[in-house]
Amino acid sequence: MSLLSLIVFAPLAGALLILAIPNTRTKAIQGVAAASSAVCMIFSGYLYYAFDKSTAAMQFIEKVSWIPAFNISYHLGVDGLSVTIVALTALLTLVSIIYSFNITLRVKEFFFWFLLLEVGMLGVFVSLDLFLFYVFWELTLVPMYFLIGVWGGPQKEYAAIKFFVYTLFGSLVMLLGILALYFNSAPHTFDMLELARQSSLFPLNFQIWVFLALYLGFAIKIPAFPFHTWLPLAHVEAPTGVSVLLAGILLKMGIYGLLRVSFPVLPLAAKWFMPFFIVIAVINIIYGALVAMAQKDLKKMVAYSSINHMGYCMLGMAAMTTIGFNGAVLQMVTHGLITGSLFLLVGVIYDRAHTRDIDAFGGLGARFPIFAGLMTIQVMASLGLPGLAGFVSEFLCFLGAFEAWPYYVAASAIGILVTAAFFLRMIEKVFLGPFNEKWAGLPDMNLRELVAIVPLAVLTLVIGLWPRFCLDLIDPTITYLVGIVNR
Amino acid sequence: MTNIILLNPEIILAAAGLFILLAGAFIGENRAKLLFHLGIISSAAVLGMIITQAGLSAYGTGTMWILDPGAQFFKFLILAATVFTLLLSVNYTAIQPRHIGTYTALLLWASCGMMLLSGAMDFIYLLISLELISISCFILTGFEQKNPRSAEGAIKYFLMGGLSTAVTIYGISLFYGATGTTNLFSYASAVDLHLSDPAYIMGMLFILVGFGFKISMVPFHFWAPDAYEGAPTPVTAYLSTASKLAALGAMMRIFASVIPHHALNLTIIIAGLAALTMTLGNLAALFQTNVKRLLAYSSIAQAGYMLIGLVVADPIGREGVFFYALAYLVTNMGAFAVALVVAGKTGSYELDAYDGLAKRSLGLSIVMVMFLLSLAGIPPLAGFVAKFYVFGAAVNSQHYLWLAVLGVLNSVVSIYYYMNIARRMFFVNSEDSSPVETDLYTAGVIVITATAVLLIGLLPETFMRMIKYCVSFHF
Repeated sequence: MSLLSLIVFAPLAGALLILAIPNTRTKAIQGVAAASSAVCMIFSGYLYYAFDKSTAAMQFIEKVSWIPAFNISYHLGVDGLSVTIVALTALLTLVSIIYSFNITLRVKEFFFWFLLLEVGMLGVFVSLDLFLFYVFWELTLVPMYFLIGVWGGPQKEYAAIKFFVYTLFGSLVMLLGILALYFNSAPHTFDMLELARQSSLFPLNFQIWVFLALYLGFAIKIPAFPFHTWLPLAHVEAPTGVSVLLAGILLKMGIYGLLRVSFPVLPLAAKWFMPFFIVIAVINIIYGALVAMAQKDLKKMVAYSSINHMGYCMLGMAAMTTIGFNGAVLQMVTHGLITGSLFLLVGVIYDRAHTRDIDAFGGLGARFPIFAGLMTIQVMASLGLPGLAGFVSEFLCFLGAFEAWPYYVAASAIGILVTAAFFLRMIEKVFLGPFNEKWAGLPDMNLRELVAIVPLAVLTLVIGLWPRFCLDLIDPTITYLVGIVNR
Repeated sequence: MTNIILLNPEIILAAAGLFILLAGAFIGENRAKLLFHLGIISSAAVLGMIITQAGLSAYGTGTMWILDPGAQFFKFLILAATVFTLLLSVNYTAIQPRHIGTYTALLLWASCGMMLLSGAMDFIYLLISLELISISCFILTGFEQKNPRSAEGAIKYFLMGGLSTAVTIYGISLFYGATGTTNLFSYASAVDLHLSDPAYIMGMLFILVGFGFKISMVPFHFWAPDAYEGAPTPVTAYLSTASKLAALGAMMRIFASVIPHHALNLTIIIAGLAALTMTLGNLAALFQTNVKRLLAYSSIAQAGYMLIGLVVADPIGREGVFFYALAYLVTNMGAFAVALVVAGKTGSYELDAYDGLAKRSLGLSIVMVMFLLSLAGIPPLAGFVAKFYVFGAAVNSQHYLWLAVLGVLNSVVSIYYYMNIARRMFFVNSEDSSPVETDLYTAGVIVITATAVLLIGLLPETFMRMIKYCVSFHF
């Protein structure tokens, strides 16, 4: 059964169907968008359920020869590394689409691009052929360009083109790296699994060059310092639903690429690079946290905290141990859930108050209990309160990295402190203190918003209390991966 | 001259041109559009002939031309471009009805010259076919008599073209002086004898310059933006595809197969020119406000990417050029077709004519974005696979990795101006919100090219196999 193809192309069918609906029939367009992403979500849920937790091998493999001239095949498969992220992608897209029902401007185009974006994201996480991977990777660029550029904030056009040029630069350099891998493998192949098998044939010097080329593409997506400058702009200008996917999924593509391609195919170079990588990770953590602290704008604060959280992922990866890698993968999932819902919650308040200035609020906690409750849960999860999802993954990242890089881990702890500081201060300013009467007439969250956010909050709790819900799937693959990397 | 039968397609096309020219003198102005249809039918018929002869490989000692799958491939591209151009011309109002016969005939003759060029194996024969192309194209460029820009473009094109022909002839005479022949067959068997002769290398260099003009290689590109801007839009589309690709095909034959440029130590020069061509083309395109000029500079840059394959010149590189030629043809033709529709509605080729197009015609805007993304090399479109091919050849060769790196940097620059058009279509609002309609002929071209762009991008295997076959027989 070609389950993975169904997952990837269900949104495409929806997108094409939407093109055929006249643009005055808003309800029909929204319905098709939600339905096709719900179908995709159901299939992904089944995938998650049917996934065999006892093996590290690829599952649900589909392999059809596509371009034999270059030995390229349509090769899909999932293992513990990708299955959780596929499910996360389907979930986040569905809730973002539900949240985005409040979009009134050019609805047809919005959902068309949105579903196309989902196809690209899902494709990246399930493809096992580098050519196919690259095609899906680039497929995310174009819809994102339009989503930011048409429905974004005041600086949308600049944000859109900056995002496009920046990431295209990275991915084209990555393409050169991919081509180099192809022409230096014997027999020539783009197959990730086959390349990983051949990894011992690549000399260190070659590995380093290719690693750096791939790293540029991935680092821009993560975004790793100093390639992070596109992120705050794009995140802040994008409409809420798109920010969710940017932070929740697109950033993960970089981490995922490193774990899926760079580490197994170029293990020597990965080891060579780790001393630099750990420094970048620490800069991401501390710098991201400090800049987030300086923000007055809620959305910017959350955006910069993403840079900080991706730093934890990188910290876990730099460990090169099972614990660290598990932490990194789990951090991808938990960050997607937590930051995704934080962006949605910021969107909720912005839709009502039309401002995101932290100082403009005050005392909202008593008047808007549901909003305040959800926001507090997610903020606490984000700053790593035990019992919630963020704590588990961050703890694993730190624990894994401590063995190899004790001093760097100690330095990163500053990042946690700062994160706690700015998030708590934000809670204080927005929800506590005297009520700002200006906001007296605002309603609390409505059903649409609750349907979008509550599932994420529930999952945050579930993973926090019972992390094996994800870790059981991730662990076998990670153990195997660490085995190849440290071979 | 025993195998003149090999030239049957060219002869038929030229005769059809003559007939249309004559018929133009007798047909009433209200029925003159019939002549376009005659032109379309005859070039499509010749296209069919070429396809049936695709596998043919024939030549004999002492002949001046060759028939091989490589030549057939370029003839196919040229004729496809001719059919598209004529389809675009049918509803192009700036061509006066009483001149339709002349216009169509000139177009067919230019195509005839390009077909001859694809099979040329003798420098004299090559020169004659180049002249046939040039003279027809000069007139076509200046065909909008009421438009001073058209005349300006034609004059510039004529002066530069005349100069380039003179340079080419000088090169050929040097070549003849050094080798004692103008025929590439008799020469090919004795390549090694002349390699160190300076007059000979000088001659080849001049011939290279002559071709440089034709494919608008920097620094011989100055005519292109003005001629492209001034010419009637269908002719611009024709010049930027057929004319460029035909010259490229001949260049591939001469410099990559018959006399490999690395044997002449010209490789580094061609590599440098390729680098210059893509970089300057892209940088200049950044500052254009007229869509025809923008596409002119973009087509200069595209020629630069194609030259990467010529520089590498191994089988992958040559296949890359062939594939790029195919992808470029359909993409550029489609982009010009959309530009034609937009200008037909707004009367302007300035970029601000694209403001808010997405609201006026969403389908047209999405298709235009597809063409632009294909030109920029974004998957899963034809242009991506083409770039993948030539960059892959450069990476594989290792020596020319730097060209691939430069190509990548250029692609990043190019996305800015291509997306600028997309930005105007989708992000900017316009006062006029009346829908933009596309006439049947132009719509046909857009549909065919858009389908081809998607198909070549998604299922390139068929085309790759065809091209591999053509290249393996390319003499």
